[in-house]
Amino acid sequence: MDILSNTVALSRIQFAFTAIFHMIWPVLTTGMSIYLIVVEGLWLKTKNPTYYHHARFWSKLYLLNFGIGVASGLPMGFQFGTNWAPLSESVGDFLGSILGFEGSMAFMLEASFLGIMMFGWERVNPVIHYLATICVAFGANLSTFWILVANSWFQTPSGGEMVDGKFVVSDYFQAILNPFMVNSFLHMFLATLETSLFVIGAISAWYILNNRHQEFFSKSLKIILAIAIFIAPAQVLIGHASGDQVYKYQPTKLAAIEAQWETVPAGESAKWNIIAIPNEKAEKNDLEIAIPQGLGYILEFKSKLSEPVLGLKEWQPENRPPMVGLIFYSFRIMAGIGFFLVGLMLWTTLQWLRGKLKAENIHQQKWLLRTWVLSAPLGYLAIESGWIVRCVGRQPWTVYGQIRTTDAASHLPPGEVLFSLTVITVLYSVLFVSAMYFGSKIIRKGPDLNLPIPGSDISTVIATESVSHIPDSRPLET
Amino acid sequence: MDALLHFLPQVWFVILGLFLFLYVLLDGFDLGVGILSLTSSDEQRRSLLMTSLGNVWDANETWLVLMAGALFGAFPLAYGTILNALYLPLMVMVVGLILRAVAFEFREHSDNKKFWNFAFGIGSFIASLFQGFALGGVLAGIKVDPAGHFIGGMWDWLSWQSLLTALTLVQGYVLIGSTYLILKTGGKLQETHFKTAKLAAWTTLIGAILITITTPIVYENARARLFHQPEVYIFALIPILGMLLIWLLLQSLNRKQEVAAFVYTALVFLLTFLGLGFIAFPYIIPPTITIYQAASSPSAMVFMITFIGVLIPIMLFYNIYNYFVFRGKVITMEEGE
Repeated sequence: MDILSNTVALSRIQFAFTAIFHMIWPVLTTGMSIYLIVVEGLWLKTKNPTYYHHARFWSKLYLLNFGIGVASGLPMGFQFGTNWAPLSESVGDFLGSILGFEGSMAFMLEASFLGIMMFGWERVNPVIHYLATICVAFGANLSTFWILVANSWFQTPSGGEMVDGKFVVSDYFQAILNPFMVNSFLHMFLATLETSLFVIGAISAWYILNNRHQEFFSKSLKIILAIAIFIAPAQVLIGHASGDQVYKYQPTKLAAIEAQWETVPAGESAKWNIIAIPNEKAEKNDLEIAIPQGLGYILEFKSKLSEPVLGLKEWQPENRPPMVGLIFYSFRIMAGIGFFLVGLMLWTTLQWLRGKLKAENIHQQKWLLRTWVLSAPLGYLAIESGWIVRCVGRQPWTVYGQIRTTDAASHLPPGEVLFSLTVITVLYSVLFVSAMYFGSKIIRKGPDLNLPIPGSDISTVIATESVSHIPDSRPLET
Repeated sequence: MDALLHFLPQVWFVILGLFLFLYVLLDGFDLGVGILSLTSSDEQRRSLLMTSLGNVWDANETWLVLMAGALFGAFPLAYGTILNALYLPLMVMVVGLILRAVAFEFREHSDNKKFWNFAFGIGSFIASLFQGFALGGVLAGIKVDPAGHFIGGMWDWLSWQSLLTALTLVQGYVLIGSTYLILKTGGKLQETHFKTAKLAAWTTLIGAILITITTPIVYENARARLFHQPEVYIFALIPILGMLLIWLLLQSLNRKQEVAAFVYTALVFLLTFLGLGFIAFPYIIPPTITIYQAASSPSAMVFMITFIGVLIPIMLFYNIYNYFVFRGKVITMEEGE
């Protein structure tokens, strides 16, 4: 077993595994935090208790995911020091600052106000509580921002240069605003939001299909839809813009995404492979099913390319991304899901406009609801695939064009890494199963529609104008 | 410029010290409560112990994340070398922290509370013990080449001296956990923790005395530093003050003073921490690499300090606000939940 004695490979597997596992949880909390702002805001505005119960129900899932997110995230930061010490030393000036910002600006904000958001309903006035919810959401999304700043910089390092193996930053703002940053952040921001929306939608659809709380959950489904109408198409557009940037800045990755071995010169038309079986030894695809001129339309909206598309053969094998097939199919899974979700959103909107999503007749939309239920894991799948494209596609570089992955790893005894990898794998597997179990338990239990509305007993203490109206404006709903 | 090159690493040394101290103090009582939960006699008590932490443990643990981030940014060489050297204890510590964090969430929804209670307690214990091993490993010194890269073995952190440090740290956490519970609980539960606090105060004291005596005997570097004039007077002052504080602490426990017990414990922590800081300074990878050698570039330090420096008071403010919102005994926290 060669790989078991290869520290670099083991460290890579460990990092990839922790990252892939960790990502699942903050994805939901980051996106859901925005949904929670919406429902709590609707409650404050309309005083309709149903929105309050929405906030309480969904925040249970929030807390569960947050806890696992924090727990599984701890090894992430530590690994830069333990497994990637040479990398930490050489890019520490930049990466360390950014991770420091993530901790101090973003994560601390989220973690501190989470206590008030979850347990403070009776302890602070509703406006302060709403501010806490906003702080949590702001912190969560700011985390996405800083992490994407760091990762985009790995893709398109800028703002300084390598001097004696150490990256010296001359302009921090240029480094933060590296070419990939804006699109990468937007792409991930929309991804977390879209994934969360479809998860909340899927759970709502499940309740409706099972004839439980139909009115309650048709409400959340509509809130979701009202946001998804903007988000799903925007994600496809940003995704396209990100692809364009890869074309421009990371030609090796683009060639791997398309399983393109030969260069297509400018002025010619390039086909787009739907299916391919890349053969890295023979430097060609064993099988290809392609759309003629497809790539030209995808990259430039015209049949003939104005710039050449470089093929993998342009680079020496050691400078090409390995695992071309993985990158090729991960990309197609991601993009396919993006389009699928747009389609589902359009279908649902159509039914809404035709008046078929009313609480009394929504359960007739069996197939629509079933499709929603099935769409719950799709966002996650798209995100993980996207990150595989992003980070495996960047290989053999850790910092694109600057630091090779083999030079970035700590010299550790392989047994030491194998030990931690084994422990982490076992632990995370248990966590995953437990999280699924407890998550489904929360869902099966359903929302508690009898939770008393906070505010009446503390209104005297705070005496804000809005709170004192609560008893009068409450609709007579069960 | 030279003054700046000297000044910036010192500022970052202090900031790191602050983050680490806040972590040890705050997550310290968290972890201590976790360890104490292993000895709880029944489910209701354990449930109260965990409720007392519900709204704060996330924020407390964040100080560790922050400390790691700041160490990475300000002293990248130290971050790489120390974490590389302490690979095993840190990984085990992380596993402990993961266990207790998820046990916290899962317990809430589980019917088999016993299992998750145990996971919470044992996770807290493992995390505390291995933090102690890591601390002991750093104090014992880390073998590096002239460039500051780790060249030691994977078990360097393990020695009877680091075991002593680890056990003492566990006792210290139990002590502060007990005094925190005295603040947050009442009745019989509080009675119990007056007792555990007293016991932990004695065991911590014994550990501290042993460490104080053995450190200069075992470590040449520390000996030279400790008995150097005029620092020797400061170093002599620390154990004397420490004894005084422990005496005051025991007095307050006997008199059943709730707040004073916690305050004295916090002061013991602060004093110990200042002592460690004085011994370590100016070394960030003892005993060879100083903060000046391991520092990132001045521009990186200035860049970080502009943003993080401004945030420190803000972070402190909203953390204090969080404690303020949930002030009072833990029983009342059950209302409305």
